[in-house]
Amino acid sequence: MTELTLYEEAMCCSTGVCGPDPDDELVEVSAALDQLEEEYDVEVTRANMQHNIDQFLNTQRIYDMVQENGPSILPITVVDGDIVAKSEYLSYDELANELSDAQSPPQEA
Amino acid sequence: MSTHTGAREIVEPSGKDTEFVFFSGKGGVGKSTVSCATATWLADNNYETLLVTTDPAPNLSDIFQQEIGHEVTEIDDIDNLSAIEIDPDQAAEEYRQETIEPMRELLDDEQIKTVEEQLNSPCVDEIAAFDNFVDFMNSPEYDVVVFDTAPTGHTIRLMELPSDWNAELEKGGSTCIGPAASMEDKKAEYEQAIDTLQDDEQTTFAFVGKPEDSSLDEIERSASDLSELGINSQLLVVNGYLPDSVCDDPFFEGKRADEQAVIERAKTEFDADATATYPLQPGEIAGLDLLSDVGGVIYDGEEATVEIGSATDVDTDQSVDVETLADPESVAEQLTPGDDTRYLFFTGKGGVGKSTVAATSATKLAEAGYETLVVTTDPAAHLEDIFGEPVGHEPTSVSQANLDAARIDQEKALEEYREQVLDHVQEMYADKEDTELDVEAAIANVEEELESPCAEEMAALEKFVSYFQEDGYDIVVFDTAPTGHTLRLLELPSDWKGFMDLGSLTKGAAPAKGDQYDEVIETMQDPEQSSFAFVMYPEYTPMMEAYRAAEDLKDQVGIETAFVVANYLLPGEYGDNAFFANRRAQQEKYLDKIKDRFETPMMFAPLRRDEPVGLDELRAFGDEITGLSDLTEREQEVTIS
Repeated sequence: MTELTLYEEAMCCSTGVCGPDPDDELVEVSAALDQLEEEYDVEVTRANMQHNIDQFLNTQRIYDMVQENGPSILPITVVDGDIVAKSEYLSYDELANELSDAQSPPQEA
Repeated sequence: MSTHTGAREIVEPSGKDTEFVFFSGKGGVGKSTVSCATATWLADNNYETLLVTTDPAPNLSDIFQQEIGHEVTEIDDIDNLSAIEIDPDQAAEEYRQETIEPMRELLDDEQIKTVEEQLNSPCVDEIAAFDNFVDFMNSPEYDVVVFDTAPTGHTIRLMELPSDWNAELEKGGSTCIGPAASMEDKKAEYEQAIDTLQDDEQTTFAFVGKPEDSSLDEIERSASDLSELGINSQLLVVNGYLPDSVCDDPFFEGKRADEQAVIERAKTEFDADATATYPLQPGEIAGLDLLSDVGGVIYDGEEATVEIGSATDVDTDQSVDVETLADPESVAEQLTPGDDTRYLFFTGKGGVGKSTVAATSATKLAEAGYETLVVTTDPAAHLEDIFGEPVGHEPTSVSQANLDAARIDQEKALEEYREQVLDHVQEMYADKEDTELDVEAAIANVEEELESPCAEEMAALEKFVSYFQEDGYDIVVFDTAPTGHTLRLLELPSDWKGFMDLGSLTKGAAPAKGDQYDEVIETMQDPEQSSFAFVMYPEYTPMMEAYRAAEDLKDQVGIETAFVVANYLLPGEYGDNAFFANRRAQQEKYLDKIKDRFETPMMFAPLRRDEPVGLDELRAFGDEITGLSDLTEREQEVTIS
């Protein structure tokens, strides 16, 4: 099973539907992750600094990156231990690509 | 009378497990008194008893005449009784700090501040408040724990949601319901607490109310909210009815008859297992003798002792001249517009008569020639009753010239908000190039998300803000929802503004909305355009509640209180006996205290034989209210048509 972890900034609501306007990026990423969980053999974990601070403190690599760059380095997307994106959310297509890569054996050209 | 009342059967512990008694009701109805009396009565009956108050302005120390505070304290003169006062604000702050503490390692001060602001949400406050109950629901050393407040249906629903939202929890995501992850540790504890609340063998939900229709209506609403969650309301205590012996003129005889009719209605209509009543006393209830009188009446079916002759309680030298406190001109100045539209906010707890005062003010202002809109956000929609005419979701004209009225229909507002959000999301996906994305599922996701209590708040706020954009009115009068709720609505925009300024947090927040809320807040902060008036009756708890709310408004949103409305002042021409002399002196004492605390002009409104209904009665009532009775006619602009 592939592990996808999304480290996110402190926020009250990761779905994006909380506030005067829906947060487009969050709405999209939440839906994308839901869909990917159904389509791929993947376990999605979302760690937001406000509610899952332990995951930041216990993951040295992430801790160092935030320490050094501040929270603007977030969100960080990690697929099976590889950092595949930072400072931005990936779209559904991009995430799907990463998962396909991770799940198919490396193909040498 | 039987010595075994229904109330006794309900409240007296029957098993081995600790039992819980929750008293629910608005401030000023005597909830503290009844809670203290209940705890005292239980202790006197040899039950090891703990009394927990989460009243932000507790008066346990007045009632027991002993300092209590934030630690469990044994009551000196009563065996088996301990008490504790919990400050809900402090509890919420502690909860916030606990959440933030671990982040300090990783974030700098600026970032921490942002998180702190985010945690300043109504949801977090409610979770913290519920924590207060949970903390004491495992107290095996006591036979019974008495709480002088109860969680509302809204809070319980909030706490129940995480179990419905397990999927969200498993993913580690969070919802606007609150910090899902931090709740996970406590999930079991919360579920246990809710089970206990729903177990009517172990838990008693009791309501305390006044003998007034509006009080009973309110209780019925809260009770039906609770019953949807499987919680039965078992006991109703109607407190503060006029004793027969003191009503010796038509005014008070009539009042008493009305009250007795409400008590009858409560007994027949309200689905409680038992109803108890306690009369109004000439003074405030303090000291153990009166407490045991209250307990004796409610639980042992004894006759109440009302010492009506003790006019000596009042130091007549100290009583204040009400006339000198009133300042009609300053009040009128706060009511009328300058160059821009004037926004008038009447705020205060349910049952203080703010709808009536708002409707009366609006009527008198319209009569004086100002184009006026009166808006209610009160779900009970008293405006229709008050005007005796239908009032719709959109501004509707009523028979008074220059006057329109509107009622924010929560359900409609929610629907409008939902549509708006869904339209937005649909539009957003229309622009996306992602090939495989299941747009329908994504939208269904959002739709589900919109089922949250937070969405309701958001929706009400949207509607509220929309009235700031209604053109063509000189004055817009808001008869706001009960204080706490309103405050939250008002506070929220300023919180959001914080988020928006900080940009990165609320990604993609539309700047247009931010500006719009900015404008609203600025308008509310500007004393030339907005007047906030706190409506209360001159007694301890209502005064303290209003004062706290006013301080909150000032500290958190930067809004100063413009004036205070003291409602239900006992008329001088009726009630000519020692009992009412005492009551009147007590009111005067508190009017003076209110003046000292708020330092604003005061509007006085008298107690009426009946609440005014219809425009004629509203006009007549307005003539008896400070500042409304002699409004100068608006100078008519010359219009050429």
